[in-house]
Amino acid sequence: MGIDFLILMKHEWLLIAIIFILLFIKVGSKEWKNESILNLINILLLFNCIVGFFWNEGGILFNEMFKTDALIAAEKNILNLGTYIISLQSYSWLKNHKHVLEFYMLLLSTLAGMFFMISAGNLLMFYLGLELSSIPLAAIANFDLEKRKSSEAAFKFIISSAFSSGLLLFGISLMYGATGTIIFSELSQQLNGSPLQIFAFILLIAGFAFKISAVPFHLWTADVYEGAPVAVTSYLSVISKGAVLFVFVSVLYEVFKPLAETWYNVLFLLSVLTMIIGNLFAIRQNNLKRFLAFSSIAQVGFILIGISGNSQTGAASVVYFVLIYIFSNLGAFGVISLVSALTGKENIDDYKAFYKTNKLLSWVLAISLFSLAGIPPTAGFFGKFFLLMAGAGQGNYLLITIAALNMIVSLYYYLKVVKAIFMDTNETPIEKITIPSLPKLALFICMAGIVLTGLMSYVYEYIFSLISAF
Amino acid sequence: MGASSLIVLFFAAIAFSVGGISIAKIFVKGVKNPQKGQAYECGIPATGSPWHQFNVGYYLFALIFLIFDVELVFMYPWAVVVKQTGLTALIEILIFIFILFMGFLYAHKKGALKWM
Repeated sequence: MGIDFLILMKHEWLLIAIIFILLFIKVGSKEWKNESILNLINILLLFNCIVGFFWNEGGILFNEMFKTDALIAAEKNILNLGTYIISLQSYSWLKNHKHVLEFYMLLLSTLAGMFFMISAGNLLMFYLGLELSSIPLAAIANFDLEKRKSSEAAFKFIISSAFSSGLLLFGISLMYGATGTIIFSELSQQLNGSPLQIFAFILLIAGFAFKISAVPFHLWTADVYEGAPVAVTSYLSVISKGAVLFVFVSVLYEVFKPLAETWYNVLFLLSVLTMIIGNLFAIRQNNLKRFLAFSSIAQVGFILIGISGNSQTGAASVVYFVLIYIFSNLGAFGVISLVSALTGKENIDDYKAFYKTNKLLSWVLAISLFSLAGIPPTAGFFGKFFLLMAGAGQGNYLLITIAALNMIVSLYYYLKVVKAIFMDTNETPIEKITIPSLPKLALFICMAGIVLTGLMSYVYEYIFSLISAF
Repeated sequence: MGASSLIVLFFAAIAFSVGGISIAKIFVKGVKNPQKGQAYECGIPATGSPWHQFNVGYYLFALIFLIFDVELVFMYPWAVVVKQTGLTALIEILIFIFILFMGFLYAHKKGALKWM
């Protein structure tokens, strides 16, 4: 204990300190301008992001309630980076918003919840982290205060997350009844595949699948993504999904290893359904946020293939893909949030001939979509390549074939948007948008990430070395 | 009574609830009547739209009450072990009360304590 415990929980302490700084500003008597608040927060988040890379030691605290190691620290750094990019992007939306401080307090407390969830060594701690990460999210989904759609999104989100938490808790309680423990390291020794344990395990997986919006638990996704403000949508689709995926991988690989055969079948089914339904529904969408919602469902299907690989490559490819997914999805969402904050247009039809007026933004959107589709020079290709490679390690070629076919389908709808931007004509295109400097920085980080993480093999090797260290 | 009986019980519970509703659906003859759809308010005919805005003041007071309520509930188990744990427990509860107090200050700053 002592100083040790400060360093091991460094990521969490920093976030909590930032939340308290914001709270003091709010409670204090001085009135701050929105611009100066946003600048201060972005500097604090950058500091938080940088400090995350130092002093990463492994250790266990509070009777295995909290554990951390180099891999977990790297995952937290990825999430920190994503949150920083989102914070930069939401600048033009938040500049005229009345409740900036509250937005960041809630946003950062969800991030703290995710960190606790990733570091959990105990089902109870995991559940607490999950709740902390989902309840404030419902509040910030409602942050376009005058829009009805936004309240609808928040309401749907809170109902569905309450339902999934119910399933998860039911699973946890049955698991406790069947094994007599909720500590991860003891749980893995008690598992023997009895029907009750498998039943509890299926409930747990259902809870997880709700959070990562895998089919058939995806129904809330499109409505919530459409109604929520763009910053929150991008946060939901990237950060909160990424955090749950990290936990999913570590729980499946470390705790539920004895049930590997069961969960392989479950994942097989989930990933095939998720890919097919996500892709087919994405074709029909006209609202860009809804479109990206279904595309993110389809991406989860690909990630599940990587998880089903059940090897070190599987874990490494998932972490690597989430990193790339953050860059490419946030690139797309960054453009959408700029356009939506200034003009309010969100439909694909509005984006026709977007290239005529906004050259830079069109290129950013196009490259992000290429990366999401997985076209070679971008990082998305390498991400999907490693996911499929991990999945192929199990020797199930049916799954890989279905995935390859789905990639072709996905190519169609991603390129449909690119075609609308570059080739279609439009009498009233979106007017020229001047990009403020902070969102420009965010777009620059995303572009650099898309190009560099793919071309530099160092990134993947680093993640792989973290995972194989165990 | 093993694990399998629990699963049987689970499905029996589903069958029981779904069965009850579907039997009612089959046998009950629904007579549509505009008065049936109305909210019951002491027998007086309802007036106005149900989407009426109501005073959120009650809600805010309930929330602030909850802050103190939760604080107290957590302090009971703390009070039981404070003698054994000593100084650490005292510091921890002070941090806890500080966090709640900040929430209270925030509510005060927002004017939630003023009755409108």
